[in-house]
Amino acid sequence: MSMKKKRIYHNPVGVRKSTGLLLIAPFIAGFLLFTLYPFVSSLFSGLKISEDGQLGLDNFIRIFHDKTVIRAAAVTLKYAAVLVPLKLIFSLLTAMLLNMEIKGIGVFRTIFYIPSILGANLSVVIMWQYLFTSDGLVNQLLELINLSPVSWYGQPDSALAIVVLLRLWEFGSTMVIFLAALRDIPKDYYDAASIDGCGRVRAFFRITLPLLKNVIFINLVLQTISAFQEFSAPYMITGGNPMKSTYTIGMLIYDEMFSYMNPNYANAVSWLLFIAIGLIIFIMYKLTSKFREANQ
Amino acid sequence: MKKNLAEISVCCCLFMLSACGGKSEASYTQPDGSLDECTLRFSWWGGDDRHEATLEAIELWNELHPEITIVAEYGGWDGWTEKVSAQISGNTAPDVMQINYDWLINFSKDGLGFYDLYTLDNLDLSGYDEETLLFGEVKGHLNAVTVSMSGRGLFYNSEVYDSIGASYPETWDDLLALGATFESYGLYPLDLDIQTGGTAWYLAVVYVQQTTGREFISMDGDLGFTVEDIKAALDFYKSLEDNHVIRTVQTRTDEDGNAALYQSAEFISGKIAGVLEWGSAIGKYESVLDEGVLESGPLLTDGSGNSGGWMIKPSLLYAISADTEYPDEAAEFMDFLLNNEQCAEILGTTRGIPASSYAFNHLSETGQLDGLAQENSIMLSEADTVNVSPYMELTRMKEFYNTAIEKVSYNAADTADAAQEMYDSITEYLESIK
Amino acid sequence: MKKLPVYLLLTAISIVMLYPLLWLIGASFKTNSEIFSSVWFMPEHISFDAYIKGWQTVTPHTMGYYFLNTFKIVIPKTVFAVCSSVVVAYGFARFDFPLKKFFFALLIGSMLMPQIAVLMPSYMMWSDFFGFNFLDTYVPLIMPSLFACEGMFVFILVQFFSGVPKEFDEAARIDGCGTLRTLVLVLAPCIRPAIISIAVFSFLWTMNDFLSPLIYIQSVEKYTLSLALRLSVDSTGQGYEQNKIIAMSVIGLIPSIAVFALAQKKFINGITAGGLSG
Repeated sequence: MSMKKKRIYHNPVGVRKSTGLLLIAPFIAGFLLFTLYPFVSSLFSGLKISEDGQLGLDNFIRIFHDKTVIRAAAVTLKYAAVLVPLKLIFSLLTAMLLNMEIKGIGVFRTIFYIPSILGANLSVVIMWQYLFTSDGLVNQLLELINLSPVSWYGQPDSALAIVVLLRLWEFGSTMVIFLAALRDIPKDYYDAASIDGCGRVRAFFRITLPLLKNVIFINLVLQTISAFQEFSAPYMITGGNPMKSTYTIGMLIYDEMFSYMNPNYANAVSWLLFIAIGLIIFIMYKLTSKFREANQ
Repeated sequence: MKKNLAEISVCCCLFMLSACGGKSEASYTQPDGSLDECTLRFSWWGGDDRHEATLEAIELWNELHPEITIVAEYGGWDGWTEKVSAQISGNTAPDVMQINYDWLINFSKDGLGFYDLYTLDNLDLSGYDEETLLFGEVKGHLNAVTVSMSGRGLFYNSEVYDSIGASYPETWDDLLALGATFESYGLYPLDLDIQTGGTAWYLAVVYVQQTTGREFISMDGDLGFTVEDIKAALDFYKSLEDNHVIRTVQTRTDEDGNAALYQSAEFISGKIAGVLEWGSAIGKYESVLDEGVLESGPLLTDGSGNSGGWMIKPSLLYAISADTEYPDEAAEFMDFLLNNEQCAEILGTTRGIPASSYAFNHLSETGQLDGLAQENSIMLSEADTVNVSPYMELTRMKEFYNTAIEKVSYNAADTADAAQEMYDSITEYLESIK
Repeated sequence: MKKLPVYLLLTAISIVMLYPLLWLIGASFKTNSEIFSSVWFMPEHISFDAYIKGWQTVTPHTMGYYFLNTFKIVIPKTVFAVCSSVVVAYGFARFDFPLKKFFFALLIGSMLMPQIAVLMPSYMMWSDFFGFNFLDTYVPLIMPSLFACEGMFVFILVQFFSGVPKEFDEAARIDGCGTLRTLVLVLAPCIRPAIISIAVFSFLWTMNDFLSPLIYIQSVEKYTLSLALRLSVDSTGQGYEQNKIIAMSVIGLIPSIAVFALAQKKFINGITAGGLSG
């Protein structure tokens, strides 16, 4: 029997260890009340292998032999790998632009957020058609500069590209989180840097980036989660076509659940996706921990 | 602490599973033969016309039966299946529901998912012929009653056809020959899709059914086509593409994106001059062209008078929830919706051309039956039609058809391989769900 | 005139961001065939019929009524979500307690499950929640927000809290502030932009949410705006007038845009402002 080691809780003087628990009590209660049952129920459904409720791993094993799932998983990975970094970079740059104290900046902030408010609005779908169909605006521009037109919707890679573009255009939430963080950086940091003869680019790398470490991590995690769960953008823009090249795991789960009326399998895939995202985030957390904790 | 918490969560979980998990075995409320005071929920999806007419019909009902209040639950088509799925699996479905044809399979494989209407005396079925009734029967139980029948027919842009001096095709050969004429003008005589409509495979099935006399899938879900039949259907599709009758899948996708044909500039401008569509849903194509431009064309034949192979199905049905507490009252209301003449006059053709002869005859007398839907319906009633199996309509099945067509169109597989793959997938799937 | 290039850049991006909205407004005056065949936003004719018809809706109620219904959900939900998330995030960010890592993992875990997978069990749960049937009420839509069930909000706030120097808490304690007063008077003002952000997210996402109200709400009298907007959209039927739907969605966007425009004004420098008041 090993001796029980007493853990020491690092709290400010005069604060009991129960204070923290008390503060997060609503979350614990909410989890037990509203989250746990649906999760467990979904897991049971995923494990169900016959009508009379027999449990087993058959559904999970089937996933690894299902070509459609493997294909969709590959599409989803590719989609996330392209979208997430692009979106983070674009959002950060735009947030810096919108952090400037100039006249009318509020109007621009609002305008830049409008695509995210539109979300799944019909106008977005129709706009994308006007842009990317064979005689759409983009191809007309390409012809103007003597490039051959592209088959945007009809080819696998370009179809995925226009879905990515839609999500890139709806960058508002990521940008807002960056902007909120940028607002917290005191201006005198930059003033001090410029007195020291630091250029703008160097100030970005020496002040902005290190101070934004946490927020970059938040956005990385949030965007990774939503990219892996992606459903509505390809559903609206391409319908998963051509040849399943934009058919994501999220769409597959939806189809199995509601179109094919196959909830047990849909739940099994959901749980596998759940585990996969969990793992990826855990790895991200470990990989970035040194960087995030440095000069904290 | 750790142990306590785990215990609490396990208990909590088990409690909730027991509280919400067990779905009670089908124990129907038996009809008692009298109409009691009660409130019934009635749900449907649709557009403005249908909503307005139905709400008005409910008002009429309330005047006739003040003791039975109807609560209307209605909305658009988006998400309606999800909503009804949740309701049916949660035993909270409305008493009377408008349902889709393939829901019979999805929600009532054993025939017990909806109330057995044969057991209810308040519902008068004398306005229906045997064949129409059978569409709503599952394993001997009458799960639903057909509101209206529908079939796909060909509709053409008359302006375009007139301007290039082409006439509507009457035979399959006519159709293939049209391609060359239209190509010289940079136009297409017809459009077929592999989206939710899946008209590409539908037309190919009609062609093979007509030439072989075999049914693609029987009402009980048996595959009637051989691998060769499927290959013949895919070959036929490919020949339509090769002869410039329709756009290739890639061209179509490039030009229209993910939009439906009636939302594409190609159709509105007349570049695509024909469409295969349900008579009950042709209005949306009609409305984007000038009035009277879209015309109904003949059902294609082999030239020797064989008009077989064209298909019909119920476009909508009404069902009563298996969990209803008021079966008599629900049946009475359903009877009113289907057979009452005054009600029929209010509803008009907002749910298609009524299948009940009482409603149909009354609408003929009042002159409410006209237009493309009616022309289409007459044409189909004169042809030697085949019944669409609910199994053919399942989303998963449509996925198999569309995958095969797409592969053939993109030259990712030859028709023999695509046919074999489709045959295997369909056989396996039908086996698994029956 | 150093700022001119900045304005040019901002304007150029703005056009790309704004055009679909402009087109949407134009489309509310167009016919179906115009909508799908012209990318140019100006309509040929201006008539407010679509707006009038859209506002009246096909139901016995006007759009104003559905706006009110939506606000009955959105406002309490946003207030609850912000308060509960701030408190829970404060607990995670500033205190040490047993099983802290485990609970934080639960929090992250609750964000990872696809909504579709838990939709049906949640529906079942609410149909018999400890003996109560909460279907066709707003309870399933609002209540979880009282318990910080939006893991993402807590996650964001935890990270922002940890960016505030610990000296702020200590100073507050020396001044005699208790745990909650430290949060309300010192820390929360420091991360004001983040709190405003999650309030905005909660507002906008609830406004746009379609699937949850669709599943839980049965009676048309209780429909939210997002349900009312799709009430007439029936792709299976004879078609519908797009401009009316579009006009309704234009009206429906106004509160969201207004709320964002107002909220972004409050994006003032948090730590400096908070530091002064603390």
